[in-house]
Amino acid sequence: MNTLITACFAILFLVILRVIFVIRHPPTPRFSPGQTCHLTVFLGSGGHTSEMLQMLRGLDVERYEPRTYVVSEGDQFSAVKAAELESSFPFSPKFEVFTIPRARKVLQPLKTVPMTAIVSLYACMWLVTFKPLLKRQSFGDLLLLNGPGTCVPLFIAIFINRALVGRFLVQWPALASKKADYAGWLI
Amino acid sequence: MSRHKNIVFVTVGSTRFDALVDKVISEEVILSLKSKGFEKMVIQTGHSNVPSGLGLKENEDMSQGNIFGLLIEVWPFRPSLKEMYEDAELVIGHAGSGTIIEVLRLGKRMIAVPNETLLHNHQAELAEALDAVGYLVSSSVRDLAVAIGQATSKKFERFPEYDASKFNGILDEEMGFNVAA
Repeated sequence: MNTLITACFAILFLVILRVIFVIRHPPTPRFSPGQTCHLTVFLGSGGHTSEMLQMLRGLDVERYEPRTYVVSEGDQFSAVKAAELESSFPFSPKFEVFTIPRARKVLQPLKTVPMTAIVSLYACMWLVTFKPLLKRQSFGDLLLLNGPGTCVPLFIAIFINRALVGRFLVQWPALASKKADYAGWLI
Repeated sequence: MSRHKNIVFVTVGSTRFDALVDKVISEEVILSLKSKGFEKMVIQTGHSNVPSGLGLKENEDMSQGNIFGLLIEVWPFRPSLKEMYEDAELVIGHAGSGTIIEVLRLGKRMIAVPNETLLHNHQAELAEALDAVGYLVSSSVRDLAVAIGQATSKKFERFPEYDASKFNGILDEEMGFNVAA
């Protein structure tokens, strides 16, 4: 038990250090034409996945590589669809699929949710923060999210890590605001 | 398969939407379809319950017959929906965004019927917004017969084509790539 508590504090301490670092060095992406950009894409499920992959059909795959797809545990559809999109690209696919455990499985009793939610959040933090630190490779220069609720643990992990969302895109003129850009139909 | 000029295609995708399936085979809706010159209705029922006692002839993967004088084909799942969309003059569908966009891009007339039993009824929000722009007709199950009249006479707006470069352009802009045209 003591070891667990110590480990938790150690993680918390690392997270705080990381937050301070990020606040002091906010990311200002400035890529030049010859550079590549590591793209990470969260695939929510059914319709969310279809729409996200549709938007990526016109991706400049030489520029946005490598690519990481994050899918929820048990969501075979998204993993298969991502592979399909990749095989349609004209260059040899450079991608990996990372699976995160669900915060709550269908029909799971509510009282056990905190535990599975922590496991889910931990997996996201591993993906977003610890793995990149250990392996000295970026989690992604750019992350794309389009819902649904299962992207929340990933979002929290990034909130801890980075200066939040760079840009919100909406598909309805009525939803446009100072914080959300309307750019017409994207799918 | 015999060719009919005026086909209406009804689809609920993979969802369950008993109310819509019941409605399209009601006398009111069928008479409305016939008055607009439709000769055949193909219904893709997904997981919905199909009422028994319709007197349809069961085939291997679909059943067919005549209801109130209209030729009817009932398929739980059709292998290719796209083919059906192409053959149809009018598509009546649940208001799933995937279905809507596919049908509208084929330039077909569409009636979107939101499944009101779904959480927050987000399908209705989408259907009504698209109706307001003039891409389709949004209808409740109850008002379907009237909606058929509207959808067959209305002048629809053409739905924008998919532009693959658009999203990539936004990514380039966001990441500070100095885009050389």
